[in-house]
Order: sequence, then structure tokens, then C-alpha cells
Amino acid sequence: MVACWPGIGSIGLIAIDTLKSMLDAEELGEIEPWDFFYPKRVLIRNGELKELEFPASKFYFKRTERGDFLFFIGEEQPTDGGKAYAEGKKAYQMANLVIDVAQKFGCQRIYTSGAAVAPIHHTARPKVWAVPNTKDLINEIKKYDNTILMSDIEERGGQGNITGLNGLLLGVAKKRGIESICVMGEIPIYLQGLPIAYPKASKSVLEVLAAALGIKIDLEQLNAFISQSEKEIELLYDRFPPEIKEHLEKLRQVNHARPTEPGPITEEDKKKILEDMDKFFKKGPKED
Amino acid sequence: MAEMDSLKIHSTPQFKSSSLVVGWHEDASELGTKVIDYLNSKLGVEVFAEIEPLDFFPLGGVSVQDDVVQFPESKFFYSRQKDLVLFKSNTPRSEWHRFLNTVLDVAENYCHVKEIYTIGGMVSLSAHTAPRDLLAISNSVKIREALGQHYPDKGMDYETPPGQRPTLSSFLLWAACNRNIAAASLWVPVPFYLLPTEDPAACKKVIEFLDKRFGLGIDFRDLDEAVRNQNERIARVRFSYPEVDNYIKHLESNLSLSQEESEKLVKEIEEFLKKTD
Repeated sequence: MVACWPGIGSIGLIAIDTLKSMLDAEELGEIEPWDFFYPKRVLIRNGELKELEFPASKFYFKRTERGDFLFFIGEEQPTDGGKAYAEGKKAYQMANLVIDVAQKFGCQRIYTSGAAVAPIHHTARPKVWAVPNTKDLINEIKKYDNTILMSDIEERGGQGNITGLNGLLLGVAKKRGIESICVMGEIPIYLQGLPIAYPKASKSVLEVLAAALGIKIDLEQLNAFISQSEKEIELLYDRFPPEIKEHLEKLRQVNHARPTEPGPITEEDKKKILEDMDKFFKKGPKED
Repeated sequence: MAEMDSLKIHSTPQFKSSSLVVGWHEDASELGTKVIDYLNSKLGVEVFAEIEPLDFFPLGGVSVQDDVVQFPESKFFYSRQKDLVLFKSNTPRSEWHRFLNTVLDVAENYCHVKEIYTIGGMVSLSAHTAPRDLLAISNSVKIREALGQHYPDKGMDYETPPGQRPTLSSFLLWAACNRNIAAASLWVPVPFYLLPTEDPAACKKVIEFLDKRFGLGIDFRDLDEAVRNQNERIARVRFSYPEVDNYIKHLESNLSLSQEESEKLVKEIEEFLKKTD
């Protein structure tokens, strides 16, 4: 099973939706939404309420020569309060429902996907951070191309958090003894708070998933999306004030895969970047 | 049926075929709760049930508004004489479906409600001198026809714009429809510069409808007086501040104001009306 909920840069969602579409997976079922979500759209015609639409949480299925694939795509993360990421009772209930379906269909492995906020430059090829829910999977992950473990990342020492359901699902799967891996595409630290997609990281995730699942993929459409997104990010980047750009330019030299070498930017630099970006977007970029 | 742990029943009055009127806090001008408060004062109602806040509201502390601590309330009142049930509540922050089903459980199982009406104010860019309109959204043909007896059907078309969410009233209409309970939401556009204070004309518009629909026999003299009083006070502001007069004239001519002008108008009217309260 490959499961995903929305998160930063829509990285996992784009990757998994692309994979699902490439395989032409068919809709299998859905989790009834009303106990999890507030409605997202109402349609009123001629003074009469015709439709109330809720965020969808759907399962898809595809049988291939390489095996059977189940997909789960959630349009929103259920929360007990007004937060963007799932937490609390509702999140746990939804994670259990997804795992119930995975077990019912005999899934052997679950992948989830999300974003890894990293001090990288947007011109770099995003790596994929992979976190398994059992040590047994570490050697397998080490064989994945362009992929790193938490322990490969400077200053992390194998520690970290995966926010929301893309992480929680791994925990619930672990509880039930199902192997799971979360694959997270890197997004530059300065793009994390923006309401834009980052398909370049989705491509990295997709490449890892396709290799792991033994699926051939056609990246033509995704590449076109990436070209468009890169142009927009470049335009935005050009409008950053010189003092912010000076810090961001240092990120061009970052390579996480070499934890033993001193990084080109310090923790202080990272903090300064986030503060500067916050100020910049609060003020609003100046029009040319 | 919703879990009953969150519902507290104080008494079990006998209802024959009642109707439920719902007012939420937090709508434009708090019109919904003002209408409920007005009806409560006129009809001599009693509280008979309430929904406990624990499962539906964050209770990490309390907010303070106008120097006073606020706490979520969700209370049912009834008028024995008019066979009318009123529900006044803050809008829940989570478990909306369960909350609404608790409301519907009370309506259906305790009160044998046949019709539900929700009341809400919405922001209008019109001047206060324009007559107040009443818009209705129904969840069935049956209630739409019933509404048509008391107000001209405007046949509104609407779809939630991107980035926004449906109102809780729409959610209630949908949940009521699933139980075959006829429901309608009633909306009165409130001039934007009256939002921080109050709009008795909007209140009167809704009460007039409810009065006709349920034969409440309301004496409107106090509401008429409140409308007249507010109009006079705004006329005095217009006289004292030509700029305010100019802004309102713009609105009366169906012209729009800039954001800065709108903010200034809101501020001047609010300050003046609060000062002369």
C-alpha cells in the first residue's frame, strides 16, 4: 500500500497521485468523511441546498504483473482542533481505518510520503529521507538511490519527527507488525512556508518508490510541471532582498550525505534564513 | 443517535409538533443569538437542555471579550405556549457532525420538531438606509414551499468560493435532510459598518418572519423604536462628519468604497454609536 495525506509543498501527494494515475488504479472505496472533517464546499441552486462536499479519503487498487497495489489518498488530515496536521483521537482513528483496509487486503508493506525541510538550494536535486518502522528495513533503504537515513543527516544522529498522518501511520503499522517506510522529498528551508507545490521533490520520491516497487514510470508530465514550478520559484527568488539572498546562496554548497564534513552553513545561518523569510513574507514582496 | 454523554437534560417538557430556531454566535453582527435573546425575552422561555462543551470546544482556558470572560454555551430553551424550541450556541471547534447530531437528537426525540430554522447575519456592502433583505436556503421542496408563503422566494444560487468553507448552518441543513427533517437557514445582510455594534433593522426582519410563521404575536414597538433611534444617531454622525456622510452617500448610490474609506467609516460609526449608547 502507498498512502498519503497533504503536507508541505504537496510533495507526497503529487508523487503518489502521479504513481496512481500512471498505473491507472481504480477507485476501490472511501472512508466516510463526516465524522472526521468539516465540509469543504456547499452547492446551492435556486435557494435549495443540493450538495455538501467533504474532503475525500479514498482507496484505489491496481493488479499488475509485479504485484497488487493499493493506494490511499487523503485530501485533508483530520484534526481535533484547527491545525493543518493530524493529531489526537481522529488522526489515530483514521490511521487505524487505513491499516484495517491494508490488512484486509493482505498488504505486506506500506509506504507513506511527505516533505523533509532541509537547508538546500532549490537548484539542487532533492534527496529522499527514508524512515522505516523497523530496523530490518535499514539495509534495504541503503540500497535505494538518492536516499538517506536520518543518521546520514548532519547533526541529527538518527533522530527526528514525522508530523501528521504520514508519520502516525507508520506507528500504527508498527503496532500491528506491518513493515512501513516513509519517504520524504527534500524542500528548501526557505520554501517550506509558502503555499506552493514543490514537484521537484515529488519526482525524487517517485523515483525511489518506483524502484522499490519495481514499476516503470513515465516522467514527462511531471517534468513539465517541474519546469513551470522552477520558473515561478526563480522569479520569486530574484525578488528576495540581497541580504536574504546572501544567506541562501550559501545553500548551493550543501550536501547532507557527508555528515563527517563541516556543513557550509551553520545553525545560526539557518535561523537567520527563517527569520529573514518570515519578515520578507510578512512585509510582502515588492512588485517590480 | 449521537452519544448522549454530552447532553444534559434539565427537564422533559411535552411537545406536540414544535419547531426549532437556531442562533449561532460568531455570525455577522451576532444576529442569530440576538434574535434568540429577543425571542427569549418576549416569550418567557425556560432552559430545558444543554450540550456540554468538553468534546466540542477547546477548554485550555477562557477568552475575555469586552472585559468579560467568555465560555462556550449550547442551550435549548422552550416556549410552552408557542410550542417553540430555541437553541443558542457557540459554533463548535471540533466534532461538528456529532455536535449537530446531538442537536438533531434533541429536536427529533425530545421535541418532535417538524421544522428547523437557523438565523444568521451576513456582511453587506449596502447602506443602512436600504431595506433589509431576507434570504433563505432550504433543504427540501417542502420547507421551500412553506417559506414562500411568508417571503418572496429569491431562488439564490451559491457555491463555496475557493479558500472558504460552508457555514455550520449548511452543515446542519444537510444533517437534518439525512433524517428527513425540513430545515432552512435564514440570512439577513447587515451593513458592514454596523457589524461591531448592532443592526436592529436586521433583527426586526427575522423576527417579522418568525412572527408570521409561528403566530408569535410579537409587539414590535420596541424594535421599531430601536431602529428609529439608531437611524437618528447615524444621521447625527453624518451631519457632524461630512466625510462619513459622503461615504454613506457613495454606498446609497451603489458605489463602492476603498478599503481605507471602509475602515474609516466602520471606526467613526462604531465610536459614535458606542459613545452615545
